[in-house]
Amino acid sequence: MKALAYLTLTQIKNRILSLKKKPGLLILYSVLTLIVVGSFVLMIIFSGETNAEKAADERIIYLIISALGLLFVYTFVTTGLSTGSSLFNMPDVGLLFVAPISSKKILFYGLLNTMGKSLLASVFIFYQIGNLRNAFDYGFKEIFILFIIYASMLVSCQLLAIGIYIFSNGNPSRKNLVKAITYTLYAALVIAYLVIQRQQQTGLLETILRLVSSEGFAYFPVAGWSVMLFAGVAHNLPVKIIISVVLFLIMGAVIIILLTSGKADYYESVLVSTETSYQIRKAAREGRNVPQTNSKKIKVRDNAFGIGKGSRAMAIFYKHLLEHKRKSRLIFIDGYTVFMMIAAGMAGYYFRTYALPEFAYYGVLATAVYFQYFLTVMGKLKQELTKPYIYLIPDSSLRKVFAASLSSLIKPCVDGCFIFGILAAVSGHNLPECAFFALAYAASGAVFVGLTILYQRVLGGQPGTVLKVFIGMGLFSLVLGPAIAPSIVLAIILPDSLRFLCTLPYSVISILFAVLLFVACGNLIDKSEYTGSAAFK
Amino acid sequence: MLLVQEVTKKYGKVLANDGVSFETHPGEISILLGPNGAGKSTLIKCIAGLLKFSGRILINGNENKSLQAKRELGYIPEIPAPYEMLTVWEHMEFIARAYSLENWKEKAEHLLQRFEMDDKKKKLGNELSKGMQQKLSICCGLLPEPKVILFDEPMVGLDPHAIKELKKIILEKKDEGAAILISTHMLDSVDEFWDSANIMIGGRIAARRSRRDTASSGEDLEALFFAITESSKSKSSDGQEGKDSSPEGMN
Repeated sequence: MKALAYLTLTQIKNRILSLKKKPGLLILYSVLTLIVVGSFVLMIIFSGETNAEKAADERIIYLIISALGLLFVYTFVTTGLSTGSSLFNMPDVGLLFVAPISSKKILFYGLLNTMGKSLLASVFIFYQIGNLRNAFDYGFKEIFILFIIYASMLVSCQLLAIGIYIFSNGNPSRKNLVKAITYTLYAALVIAYLVIQRQQQTGLLETILRLVSSEGFAYFPVAGWSVMLFAGVAHNLPVKIIISVVLFLIMGAVIIILLTSGKADYYESVLVSTETSYQIRKAAREGRNVPQTNSKKIKVRDNAFGIGKGSRAMAIFYKHLLEHKRKSRLIFIDGYTVFMMIAAGMAGYYFRTYALPEFAYYGVLATAVYFQYFLTVMGKLKQELTKPYIYLIPDSSLRKVFAASLSSLIKPCVDGCFIFGILAAVSGHNLPECAFFALAYAASGAVFVGLTILYQRVLGGQPGTVLKVFIGMGLFSLVLGPAIAPSIVLAIILPDSLRFLCTLPYSVISILFAVLLFVACGNLIDKSEYTGSAAFK
Repeated sequence: MLLVQEVTKKYGKVLANDGVSFETHPGEISILLGPNGAGKSTLIKCIAGLLKFSGRILINGNENKSLQAKRELGYIPEIPAPYEMLTVWEHMEFIARAYSLENWKEKAEHLLQRFEMDDKKKKLGNELSKGMQQKLSICCGLLPEPKVILFDEPMVGLDPHAIKELKKIILEKKDEGAAILISTHMLDSVDEFWDSANIMIGGRIAARRSRRDTASSGEDLEALFFAITESSKSKSSDGQEGKDSSPEGMN
């Protein structure tokens, strides 16, 4: 057997055999496989029953495909401009690239591997068989093509990132050209949206649906081609199928030619991203902070040099301030604040004419709190707890925990003022209610900081992302539930003129809960073990 | 023999290697010395065929990216990265297949034995400690019996027994006629067996000495190394050096 075939087959065999040592994972995979197989069986059994007249608007599927495609294109173009993408991993670099095997064969191996992984990553679509069948009356053909489309988007976007990296690496003018093309394409979408809305006088959702199902959008790289392919298969339109497949193939062929042209020297082009992703995976596995992949170079300015203030535990807080200052001149106002302000502003603008806009504003609050949860539990405090310094500083545990949390407590206060300030300004909604929204947002931040401390105190470390999602859901119901309930009661009993006070019970209970967590777990540093790095193992 | 001629490597505007030239002959152990950021690992990666560069690198007369050159080159990277889903023995088998080796099993057994890995043959890559990974990486690099061997910081992470064994192997390979290039910033670790030393600063070779030179002149390599690096630092702080030194991590 040739080396590459041996490598591929042995890895697959060992991956399957390793499941013997992980019964939990084996059960999970078995259940997931059963769900997929069961869904197929049910689909075959009920294949005669159609529901065409009740089917939902198919353009919603176009919208989902487009949204995914646009997100992938933007993300992978950005990756291509920084580190590039990779079809390989570090063992390939150390063992395969230096071996006497043709680089074209190695590229083919990398492509096949990536395609395989993309197909596996696309399996989740089959879990939607029931929903897709009920909502859109789709059969096997449509669901299978969605599966293929998702995998094709992943593979072609990875190729796109590599192509962009090869084209633009070390050449600022080419980088600017790629950026200009990308921004032009996305700006064209915004213009098309405005034109459709102006000409056809349609609402937000309807305009977007008309845009993604238009003939012009079908030629937008990856996202549009995917919509065209799906429409072609779903409606038996061979011309659309052929055009979209040809466009995908042309893009893939151009990038592969770029990769293999001349001396077929693509090793360097994939090296940076391979090393970066290896370091990220390694750091994640060892429980260390994931290295920043952001290529933005932070310039150390003279006016932001040195910590300057703070002694003992408070040195941690001033260090955090300096770190914030290095990332953003406005310290606590960063990209997230701006993003949330824009989102809140848009929501305020679109919902201001609704009959009960405050319900939409509660939606904005809930969404902002949801994002904030992840931002806080992965924030400064968590990072500090994974480093040894906080354990070594000669100060009381409570002071150290508080100092390490302080910047995470202040940021939601600042963000809340800006997010709900914009909401009030754009929507014209009453200012006191927006101020109480901001307070509720800040109070949620305090609870989440408390929860980070709780994780470390109870679990002796920070849980993984999946566990965080589950714990997060539990927290929403267990902790925030009792805080939300009095607010709902208040909303029912209070007269309209006092309804702006609705979020107050929620805020008060959240702050009390946060204080309780700080007091109960303030001895964290004295009681828990340092688990941040493998350095002491 | 390894021939490096006028090798220049740029990362964007940053010059990582600037017209580097040297030779390592069969039966010679050559070392690349230099502080962090000097461009040592970049040069090693260029020689291993992982990076593009301008200039010329020949492995026994073959252009370094040719298949013939790869057959005769062994590379032990700074960061060991085994395949997670391949056992120790399967790594050996993979290398044997990739390099079309015959009668490799006995050699593989012997190598694993020397590095005390013979009882770990059925361990998967992801079950190995960092030191074990480094040992496996060395075994993989040496199994094809290369004529030119590149070591990038090979002693890092090894236990005393493995360091002793690796030093023995390096000397054996030298006696067998291999050209060996070792990149390191720890002079002590290679002090006893180097034949020629290239001191790198800011992507260039600032000095080259053979053991015979230093023995006859009485020059101390460590003192020379510090003299060069300190003078480079003072030049940089005086702003006399035109170009920026390579960033940390480039190596």
